[in-house]
Amino acid sequence: MVESAIQAGAKPVYGVLAEFDDVDSIAKAAREVRDAGYERFDVYSPFPIHGIEREMGLRPTKLPWIVLVCGLSGTSLALFFQWWSNAVDYPFKISGKPLFGIPANIPVTFEFTVLLSAFAAFFGMLVLNKLPELHRPVFESQRFRRATDDRYFLAIEANDPLFDAKRTSELLQKLTRNPVELCHDSGQSGALPSWLRAGFVGVAALALLPLAATVWARAFDTTRPPIHIVRDMDSQQRFRAQVANPVFADGRAMRPDPLGTVAWGELGASGAAQAGKRGDTFVDAFPLPVTSNLLERGRERFAVYCTPCHGQSGYGDGLVALRASELQEQNWVQPSSLHDPLVRTRPVGQIYDTIVNGVRTMPAYGRQVSSDDAWAITAYVKALQRSQNASVDDVPLPERAKLGVQ
Amino acid sequence: MTHTLARQAPTLGDRASRWGTIALGVGVIALAAAAYFGWAREDGFKRLQHAWLVACAFWLSISLGGLFFVIVQHLTRAGWSVVVRRVAELVAANTLVTAILFAPLVAMVLKGDASLYPWADPHHVAEHPLLAAKAPWLDAKFFALRVVVYFGTWFLIGRWLLKRSTEQDGASGVEPTLALERRAPPAMVAFALTLNFAAFDLLMSVVPTWYSTIFGVYVFAGSVMSFFAFSVVALRFLQKHGLLEREVNVEHYHDLGKFLFAFVFFWSYIAFSQFMLIWYADLPEETFWFKTRMEGPWAIVSVVLLFGHFLLPFAGLLSRHAKRRLGILTFWAVWLLVMQAVDMFWLVMPSVETSANPVTLAGIVSPIDVACLVGAGGIWLFALTKLAGGRALIPVNDPRLPQSLAFENF
Amino acid sequence: MTVDSTSALHLDEPYARPVLVEGDRDIAAVTRRVCGVVEAPKPPKAWYVAITITSAMTVMLFGCVAYLIATGVGVWGNNSPAFWGWDIVNFVFWVGIAHAGTLISAILFLLRQKWRTSINRAAEAMTLFAVCCAGLYPSIHVGRIWVAYWLFPVPNQMQMWPNFRSPLLWDVFAVSTYATVSLLFWYMGLVPDLATLRDRATTKLRKGLYGFFALGWCGSARHWQRYERAYLILAALATPLVLSVHSVVSFDFAVSQVPGWHTTIFPPYFVAGAIFSGFGMVVTTMVPARELFGLKELVTLRHLENMNKVILATGSMVGLAYATEFFIAWYGGNPYERFVFLNRALGPYWWAYWLMVFCNVVAPQFLWVKKIRTNLWAMFVISIFVNIGMWLERFVIVVTSLTRDYLPTSWGYFAPTWVDICTFAGTFGLFLTLFLLFCRYLPMVAIAEVKTVLPAAHPHGGHGHKEGAHHG
Repeated sequence: MVESAIQAGAKPVYGVLAEFDDVDSIAKAAREVRDAGYERFDVYSPFPIHGIEREMGLRPTKLPWIVLVCGLSGTSLALFFQWWSNAVDYPFKISGKPLFGIPANIPVTFEFTVLLSAFAAFFGMLVLNKLPELHRPVFESQRFRRATDDRYFLAIEANDPLFDAKRTSELLQKLTRNPVELCHDSGQSGALPSWLRAGFVGVAALALLPLAATVWARAFDTTRPPIHIVRDMDSQQRFRAQVANPVFADGRAMRPDPLGTVAWGELGASGAAQAGKRGDTFVDAFPLPVTSNLLERGRERFAVYCTPCHGQSGYGDGLVALRASELQEQNWVQPSSLHDPLVRTRPVGQIYDTIVNGVRTMPAYGRQVSSDDAWAITAYVKALQRSQNASVDDVPLPERAKLGVQ
Repeated sequence: MTHTLARQAPTLGDRASRWGTIALGVGVIALAAAAYFGWAREDGFKRLQHAWLVACAFWLSISLGGLFFVIVQHLTRAGWSVVVRRVAELVAANTLVTAILFAPLVAMVLKGDASLYPWADPHHVAEHPLLAAKAPWLDAKFFALRVVVYFGTWFLIGRWLLKRSTEQDGASGVEPTLALERRAPPAMVAFALTLNFAAFDLLMSVVPTWYSTIFGVYVFAGSVMSFFAFSVVALRFLQKHGLLEREVNVEHYHDLGKFLFAFVFFWSYIAFSQFMLIWYADLPEETFWFKTRMEGPWAIVSVVLLFGHFLLPFAGLLSRHAKRRLGILTFWAVWLLVMQAVDMFWLVMPSVETSANPVTLAGIVSPIDVACLVGAGGIWLFALTKLAGGRALIPVNDPRLPQSLAFENF
Repeated sequence: MTVDSTSALHLDEPYARPVLVEGDRDIAAVTRRVCGVVEAPKPPKAWYVAITITSAMTVMLFGCVAYLIATGVGVWGNNSPAFWGWDIVNFVFWVGIAHAGTLISAILFLLRQKWRTSINRAAEAMTLFAVCCAGLYPSIHVGRIWVAYWLFPVPNQMQMWPNFRSPLLWDVFAVSTYATVSLLFWYMGLVPDLATLRDRATTKLRKGLYGFFALGWCGSARHWQRYERAYLILAALATPLVLSVHSVVSFDFAVSQVPGWHTTIFPPYFVAGAIFSGFGMVVTTMVPARELFGLKELVTLRHLENMNKVILATGSMVGLAYATEFFIAWYGGNPYERFVFLNRALGPYWWAYWLMVFCNVVAPQFLWVKKIRTNLWAMFVISIFVNIGMWLERFVIVVTSLTRDYLPTSWGYFAPTWVDICTFAGTFGLFLTLFLLFCRYLPMVAIAEVKTVLPAAHPHGGHGHKEGAHHG
C-alpha cells in the first residue's frame, strides 16, 4: 500500500504516520524509533503521556528561564515606573507617605511581576511550539482526527536524515497492528481565508484610530475649544449673575438675604476694635495691649496667611509671587512690599482694615482670621517693618556691645 | 519487593540512647553556661527569661508545625508522605518536654515577677489604664490555666496521633489508620484554636499594649516552615547514619522542599501584611511595636529577616533543581531554622531595654540567647530520642506505604 | 435532583483511591460525553427557560447601569456617611466568588488533587464571569465613568500619573491581572479540548470557529511537554496571585483607620472567605448543571463531597477569624474598636450580623455529617446559605463601620434604593447567562485532563508503576 502511494503521489512526502491503540504501545514505539536513530519524529496523543518525553529523548524545555527573565523584568519595570512616576515626574504628596515607600509599592510590583510571567508562560509556550499553525500535513489523514479523541500516533518526518519511505514504514509497521500510512504535504496553507484576514486588518486599523487621534491632538495646538462629549461640571446649566429668573416673583436670579439675616461671626461686628476706624479715620493705636504673646501669635498667623505672597520678611517675595513672576502671569499684581515707605507710615487701623477687608487684588481675610488675630498680625507687621528699618538706637544698650557698635 | 524492604522496620536502636545522652549533655552544659552568663549580668534574670522564651518558642514551633503536618496528612489521606510521617509524628508528640521547659516562666508569672510579662505586676497594671482594661484576660491564674489547656491539647493530640500510628505498625487491619482519618478534622479545629490564642498569650503579650489580629497566623506560618526545615535536616541526618536510606528518596525531599518554599512565601505574605497594614495606617498604638524594631541595631535584625527569611531562601529554593539537590536543600533548611530562631528573637527580645548607649548589634545579642537555645534544644532532642526509642522510623504497615515508596513527582 | 445511585462511596479502605470517573471509563467515552453536550442539536428545555430569565435580568442590569451613568451615583443609596454601599459590597462579593476557579485549577493542581479535573473547567469559567461582574462595580461607581482610564498609568493631558500608593489603584492592578491570568489559564486549558471539538465537527462553521481558537493544536508530544510545563508555571503563578487579589481587596479596608476595617488579619481572612464563597457558588451551580447536562458520571458525588469539605474547612477558618477579630477588638482596648464590634452585634444592623454568623459559621457545620454533605438537596441549601452569608459579611463590614465611626453626630443608616437592588440582581443575570452560554458552547469538563486520571492513560510497562500510585 505504501509503495503504491509513493508512486502515485505527485505531492511531496511529509512523512510516515502510524496509529497505536494504547499508551503502552505508543511508548514502546517511541523508544524503538528513538533507538533506531530517528530524530525528526513526533508522538501525538489526546492527553499528555506521563514519561513519553524520556522515551522520545526530548530535552527539558527552556520555558522556565523565559518566565524567570520576564518576571524579573516585570519586577524591575514596575518598581522603576512607580518610582519615576510618583517620585520624580509627578511627585504626589499624599497622607504623609514617602514618595517612594517600598511597602506601598509592593502590591503593584507583585501583580505586574505575575502578569509578565504569566504572559511569558503562555505566549512563550505558543512561540516555542510554533503555534498557531492552523494546518499541518498530518491533519490530511482522516484517521488522525482521533488523535484528539482516543488514538495515539507516531509520525516520522521525511526530512529526517535516516528517512526512507520503505524502511521507515516497515519499522513502524512492526510496532503496530494498524496500517501505516504515508502522509503528504499538499502544500495547503494554514492561513486564514482572505476575507477573514482583511477583516482582521480592518479591525486592527480601526482600533488604531483613537490612538492616532490622541497623538494628533497631542502634537498640534488648536485655538478651538475642545469638544465636550460629556458636559461634566464645567458646563452645567445654571442661572448666571444679574440675569432674569422666572422662578421667583421678583424675577431676579440673585437672591437677596432674607430680612434680618446675620452671617456667621458677624453678630456684633461693629466698633473700632472690629473696624479699625473711628468714623472715617483709621485708628492709630492698638485697641488691645501689645504683648510679646500677641506678637508671637501675630508671627505665627502671618506665617500662615501672609507669607505665601508677601514672603517671610514682607518684601512681597512669597513663593506664590515668585512662581507667578517666573511664569510671567499677565494678570498678576505684584504684592506690596510691607517696607514700602507708603505702607510703613500707614496707621495701624488701615493695616488692620486691609487684612480684614482686602485691598485691590488682595483678598479679604476677615472670614479666616479673627479680629484679635488680625490685630496680632498688624502688631507683627509693625514689628517687622521696624526690624527692617532699624538703627543702632533701637538696640538696647546692653545688647549693643554684642553687635560691636556703640 | 518494596514491601519487604519496609518490613525491616528501621529503628534508632541503641543509637537512641547514645544520641540522647549527647544531646542531654550538650543541653545541660549550655544551660549551665546560660545561668553563668545570666548571673554575670546586671539585668541577667530578665534577660534569661526572655532568652528562655525565645528558646522555648523556637523548639515548640517545630513541634506545632509537625502537629499541623501530621493532622493534614490524615485529613487529606495523603499517600506521598507516609515515609516521612513517622519522623513528623515524633516531633509533633514531643510537646511535653516543651511544657516542662516553659513551666518556670509560668511560675514566674504566678509569683508576680513581671520581668518577662509586664502585666504580671498588679501595680503596673493598675497604673496603666490600657492594661487595666484587659486585666481579666491577662490575669496570672487565668494565664496559667490557658497555658495548661494549650499544652494539654497539643500533648494529647500529638501523643494520640503517634500512638495510633504506631498501633498500625503491628495491626492486621487498617482500623488505626481509619481512626486517625476520622479524628483528624476535630484535631485540626482544636489545633487552630489553641495555636491562635497561644500565640497571643505566649508571645504577643510580652508587649501587652500591642495587638495584631494576624499574629496567630504569623506564628503558625513560621512554625510550619520551621517544621519542614527541621524535617529535611532530621531525615538527612538519619540517612547519613544509614537509616531510611532506601525508603526516603529525592522525590520526597522534592515535596518537602516545595512545602518549605511555599511556607517561606506564606510567612513573607503574612509578615508583609502585618507590617504594611500597620505602617500604612500609622496609628501610634500599633506602630510603636515596629518602631522599636526599625531603629538602631533592631533595624539590622529586621533587614536580616527580610533577606534571610524571605528574599534569599525564596530565590534559592525557586527552581526545581534546588529542591532536588539534597545538599542545596539541606543548606536552606538549616538556614531557615536559624532564621526561625532570629524571628522568635526579633519578636521577643526588643522588650529588653539595654543600658548601653549607643545600642549596637553586639549590645542586643548575648551569649545567654545562644546558650538558652542550645540548652532547650538539647533537652528537646533528648526527649525526642526517648520518644523515638524502639519505634520504627517509618509507618511500616501503613496501607499507603507502597504508594509513598513508589511516589514520583511529575 | 435525586441522589445518584451510581456513587457508592467505598472509602473504607485507605489504600484504595476512589474512582474519579464513574460509569464507562474508557477514553473515548469521556470525549463522547463532554462533547455530546456541545454537539447536541438542542440543549434541554430547562436551558431555554433559564437563559430567557437570566438574559432578561442582564438587560435589566444594563438598563440600571445606563440609568446610573446618565443620572449620577445619587441613584444609589450611597450617601454621607456611607459613601461605600452596595457597589463595594457587591464588588467584594463577586471577586470573592471568582477565587474558587483559580484555587481549584492552580492550588489543587500543585497539591496533586486529581479530583479537580472534573470541575476545574467550569470553576475557571465561573471565575471569569464573576470577575466580569466584580469589575463592573468599581468602574461604574467612580461616578464619571468616562474618565475611568485615569486609573491606568496612561499619559494624559494633565501630565499626571495615578497614585501607586493608593490601595484603590492596587485593586485595579490586582483585579485586572487576575482577570488576565485567569483568562490565559482557562484558555490554555481549553486549547486541546477545542481541538477535540474541531476534529469532531461536522459543520464548516464549527470546524472553522473551534479550529481557529484551537490554534492548530495537534497533540504533539513536544507540544504537550512545553504545554505541561507552562501549565505548571501558570499554576505556580496563579497560586500566590489568588492570595494576593483578595488580600489587596482587603487592603482597601485595612490600610484605613476606620474602626472595624483596620485589622491585620484581614488579608488571610478575606482569602479564606473568598475560597469559601467561591466553593459555595461552584456547588450552587454544579449541582443543577450536572443534572441538566448529564455529567453525573464525571462530576461525581465524591467531587461534590470534597468541595463540601473545603467549604467546611474554610467556613471554620472564617469563624475563627470572626472570633479573633472580636477578641482583639476587646483585648486591644481601643474604645472605638470595642464599640464597632458591639455595634455590629447589637446595633441597627444586628440582623445582618447574626444572619451572617449563622450562614457562614453555623450552617457549614452541618457538613460534618457525611449524610448531609453527600445529599444533593442539603448541600445545595447550605451552599445558598454560604452565598448569602458571604454577601452579608461584606455588607456588615462596609456598612456598619461607615455608618457609625468616630463622630456620633455624623452617624447614619444605609438603605439601598431600587437601583441598587436591581443592579445586583442584574449581575446574577449576567453571571448566569455567561455560564449557561459556556455550558452550551464550550466543553464544560476538561476533556484532556480527565483522560489523564483514567487508568488507560498510564504506561504500565517501563517503570513498574502500581496503578494505585496515580490516583489520588
